[in-house]
Amino acid sequence: MAGSLTRDEPAEGTVVPRPVPAVIRTVWYAAGVLARRILLLAGLLAAVFAAVELLPGDAADATSERGESAADLARRRHLLGLDRPVAERFWDWMTGLPTGDLGTSARGEPVADLLAHPFPNTLLLGGLALLLTLVASVALGCWAAAKPGSPLDRAVSASATGILALPEFVVAVALVLVFALWADWLPAVTLTDADGSPASWRMLVLPVLALAVPQIGWNTRIVRAALADEATAAHIETAVLDGLPRRRILTHHLLPGALPTIAAGIATSTGMLLGGAVVVETIFNYPGIGSVLAGAVADRDSPVIAGVVAVTGAVITGVLLLADLVRAWASGGRT
Amino acid sequence: MNLNRRQVLWAGGGIGAAVLLAACGGGDETSAKSPARANEKPRPGGTLRVGALGRASAITRDPHGTQANESDYLIISLVYDTLTVPGTKPNTVPRLAANWQASDDLKTWRFTLAKGAKFHDGTPVTAEDVVWSLKRLRNTPAGASRLPGIKAENIRAEGDDAVVLVSDYANAELPLLTRLTTFVLKKDTADKDLAKAPGTGPFKLDWFRSGNARLVRNDDWYGGDVYLDAIEVKIFESPQAMGNALLAGQIDVASNVGAVAARTAEKRDDIQIVRRPNDMAMPIVMRTADGPFADAKVREALRLAVDREAMVKQVLSGYGTVANDILGTGDPAYAKDLPQRGRDLAKAKQLLKEAGFDTSKTYKLLTTEDIAGLAESATLFATQVREAGVKVEVVKQESATFWDKTWLKGDLYTTYWGTNDSVVFFASKTMVSDSGQNEAGWKNKEFDAAYRKAMATKDPAARTEVLHELQRIEYDESGYLLWGMADGIDLAGAAVRNLPTLPGYGRVQLEQAWLAR
Repeated sequence: MAGSLTRDEPAEGTVVPRPVPAVIRTVWYAAGVLARRILLLAGLLAAVFAAVELLPGDAADATSERGESAADLARRRHLLGLDRPVAERFWDWMTGLPTGDLGTSARGEPVADLLAHPFPNTLLLGGLALLLTLVASVALGCWAAAKPGSPLDRAVSASATGILALPEFVVAVALVLVFALWADWLPAVTLTDADGSPASWRMLVLPVLALAVPQIGWNTRIVRAALADEATAAHIETAVLDGLPRRRILTHHLLPGALPTIAAGIATSTGMLLGGAVVVETIFNYPGIGSVLAGAVADRDSPVIAGVVAVTGAVITGVLLLADLVRAWASGGRT
Repeated sequence: MNLNRRQVLWAGGGIGAAVLLAACGGGDETSAKSPARANEKPRPGGTLRVGALGRASAITRDPHGTQANESDYLIISLVYDTLTVPGTKPNTVPRLAANWQASDDLKTWRFTLAKGAKFHDGTPVTAEDVVWSLKRLRNTPAGASRLPGIKAENIRAEGDDAVVLVSDYANAELPLLTRLTTFVLKKDTADKDLAKAPGTGPFKLDWFRSGNARLVRNDDWYGGDVYLDAIEVKIFESPQAMGNALLAGQIDVASNVGAVAARTAEKRDDIQIVRRPNDMAMPIVMRTADGPFADAKVREALRLAVDREAMVKQVLSGYGTVANDILGTGDPAYAKDLPQRGRDLAKAKQLLKEAGFDTSKTYKLLTTEDIAGLAESATLFATQVREAGVKVEVVKQESATFWDKTWLKGDLYTTYWGTNDSVVFFASKTMVSDSGQNEAGWKNKEFDAAYRKAMATKDPAARTEVLHELQRIEYDESGYLLWGMADGIDLAGAAVRNLPTLPGYGRVQLEQAWLAR
């Protein structure tokens, strides 16, 4: 029976279990991971509603004007549905989610509208930063690993450590200072045009750099360490003894082995990038979800906060799933 | 390069970039700082790019909604008209209402609409539209505080071009109440159509996206010539980013950007600093109803212990003026002749002794970081009054907690107000015994009587006299310590002309602005 991997003989008279093809196994595995992550996200959203509930004041207070009487406030609270139990509001919000309804902000705007332009903008910013992080850190890591212990290796590793410790806002302020206000090469802030996206690609350069630089530092270290780890493996030693060219050893032997670790590192950076985006977006006035989130927390605006968490959570879930799959595929069942 | 400590500190905030830049030898631009060139003839055309503060999460398109964003309010004010708008002298001037008259009992007010006022789709504005809009405003949760004393059913049309408002009580300053948010929409505009609802204002909406908007000139505006072809409003979450955008030439005006940005711009010849006096009051509230500050002598002692000049210099970076404990400093009827309080530590100590004030205790001064300078003012105040023997500990509260727990209740706290061109505004809102926002819990029969008399006096000269008496009582006994007034500060590029210099929301009146380029 082709493809059968089981050694157990089927018992007489029972239906022979069909062997599960690899594709289905992968899909099954992915579905399992996805289901767990979705549950986790739902739990997180419940925690968001609960946490906002615990903060002093509520959205009715936050959006009221000075001089509203207690009766006016009660009316506002009723209009916003805040007089209902938090569990009920959470349930209402969650049941709208599958239809794409993210609820209404405390100021009466549909949350989906509030996120419609900022979210793709943040994805663009984060995606570009992630891509730059991936390319730069793999290139730098490989470059350093090519001659272990050389001055070059030490220089790359040391500067990687240096910049990974830099907070995004320090990088961002330095970039604005040098490239926008002093040299006048690039715009200082991001302005949007009629379609809600940055008016020019040049406005993306500095925010992407500010976001990516600390992550490049972090991931270069990971790539370098993963390659060093892999270099001690027996098959690499064999390849070296076989006299294979260095480049071939790197691309065909070292990198594939180090891939699971690199994938995990990059996946972790996704969360860090989205977190850093909140700060970077403020400094560059980048029209993303960072400012939406910061304002929503100040306003105790649960539907908006939950909306931001849901969409970013979905993206992070997707990236982590992808990383899991890469790892499963690259390790070929070794894990 | 010589940077002082404050500038270095601000460098961390991003705007310091400009300080360094300026210090590194900017100023190769040719034009000079000169906002007032009276003999210049306004030049038509051009697009003015204006930055205004706002948060993406708080965006609202409803002219009668809760507007937290200056950017939203700016856009709405350019597209829609209110019945009246702030002015210098008098403080209320016509807009959609061309004029107004009161009945003898000062309860019934009749507003006549401006001739030729049309919506952007060409239909004329009728009294019915105005009545519908005012009722809509009145029926929002904030309606009672926006149109105080006017019930929805007491707003009615009179003919095609007049609207009558009947107040529950005599109110000589009723037109003042119609300066804010009385935006007029077409009758029966549905909530879902608000975003595209035509206004009557000097500019028409071209597009709006995520808090940013482009507005184009309304050639049919009844209010006079508009010079600019278009205004683009850009939303900024932080004043730092807005300042940087202006310094980098990405915007032409940074609206209400603040003193910190102004200091960095001082060294740039190609940037105008527009100061709008009496923009923001940040008084310290001392509870009069009960507690340690209930004795008028204690309050007087604290008023004498504060060093007002130092407060203005350090808290406001010098962008402000010393005040005299009376709120409404921009009012034409403001009592300028009352003696300016100065620092007198000896007298302060003596008053505290006479009042038997317990100087062994430490008193909490509650504050927030809602607006720039507020928490700093509290800290400096605490340092200053210590020299009079009063120990004050500053406690910073998170905004929501402060408004929920401290405001109107605390013994000693900071507050702030953005409408400062009316003495009556504060008297009616925060000082009359039964006012809804009596911040210090102040009850003074003399003051109440003066207020009621002022409200029922039709003759402006006679009313100013009564208001003087009202301010004297406030000066002597209220729960406020108003040490100074912050200027509103806008930054503008060299080519921008004729920006408004009015405080508060007067800054949105950009219809007279033009570009010299």
